[in-house]
Amino acid sequence: MEALNRFFVKSNSAQVAKQRLQTLLAYDRLEIPPGVLALIKDDIVAAISRRVSVDCEHVNVNLLHEQNSSKLVVDIPLIANRGARAVRSAGRSNAR
Amino acid sequence: MLPSILNGHAMNEHTPLEAQVITVTSGKGGVGKTTLTANVGIALAQLGRKVVVVDSDIGLRNLDLVMGLEHRIVYDIVDYVEGRCRLRQALIRDKRAAELFLLPAAQTRDKTAVTPQQMIQVCDELRKEFEFILIDSPAGIEQGFQNALAPADLVLVVINPEVSSVRDADRVIGLAESQGKTQIYLVINRVVPARVKRQEMLSVEDIKEVLSTEIIGIVPEDDAILSASNRGMPVVCNGKGPAALAYRDIARRLSGEHVPLEIPQALGWWQRLFGKAS
Repeated sequence: MEALNRFFVKSNSAQVAKQRLQTLLAYDRLEIPPGVLALIKDDIVAAISRRVSVDCEHVNVNLLHEQNSSKLVVDIPLIANRGARAVRSAGRSNAR
Repeated sequence: MLPSILNGHAMNEHTPLEAQVITVTSGKGGVGKTTLTANVGIALAQLGRKVVVVDSDIGLRNLDLVMGLEHRIVYDIVDYVEGRCRLRQALIRDKRAAELFLLPAAQTRDKTAVTPQQMIQVCDELRKEFEFILIDSPAGIEQGFQNALAPADLVLVVINPEVSSVRDADRVIGLAESQGKTQIYLVINRVVPARVKRQEMLSVEDIKEVLSTEIIGIVPEDDAILSASNRGMPVVCNGKGPAALAYRDIARRLSGEHVPLEIPQALGWWQRLFGKAS
């Protein structure tokens, strides 16, 4: 299907341009320099890691922009503490 | 917010209008500000309006070249501001219309030769004589732009359907709003309908959505523009091509007429073969 699409619509670069612009203008209008999101991400990870284990590789901080509002959407996967589980099962096996 | 001028206010052609200062700007260079200023200025004068076009690009003047008036410059705006001539002496009459004048920029000075306050004073003088004062702004957002923006009642932001131009326009619109300007309109220049149809170019709807600003004109890409600028004879002087028609429509809208905005459409193969009328 994608191959077919590629055949009929040679390049849908207009859509790419529109999406890039929407992101760019959201940043411009909020006066957020490009690198700041990465810094915010580091700050959040540092703060949360003090309490729970964070899967640093998969943390996402995105700017979501709609017509009249913008918001930060933060996605922070946590790592289950395998050690704790092992201890618990070990405890259980001990009890048996 | 003021009511949009695009609704039209059905003015009689011979009712003199209250003077309006219209600044043509863009942020990005090379998008067609000067060509638009020349063409819309001439088109307004052809509608019977009293028009002066002002080149505020001090140091890099070129409105005179686009209009073919370069040999007639004696005094310029800096000469007037610094008291070397009267305003009338700096105005060059363009004989292609009844009441059309050019106030040229100086070529040998820089943007700081005139201040925003002086631009407002110059425009206040011009308001006594003219119905439309069109200011061609230099590219950028520095003092030349601030000079052009200061006296504006209405701001025309010219853009090309292209990422960097739209982004710069957004910045310029923000700056104009922060100066208290409420009448801000877009002109989308150099639209190629066939490329929009193939989704290779931002559409008018895309741009309107991204910038959420009203559109006052859509000018299709037109080969006639280059030869017109080669000759110093802007397309509205005698052209019947798509750009000439679009510039005339913008002039009619500015002069209060209600002219519906038409989005240029790509011709189908049948129309390409047998002409647009079929």
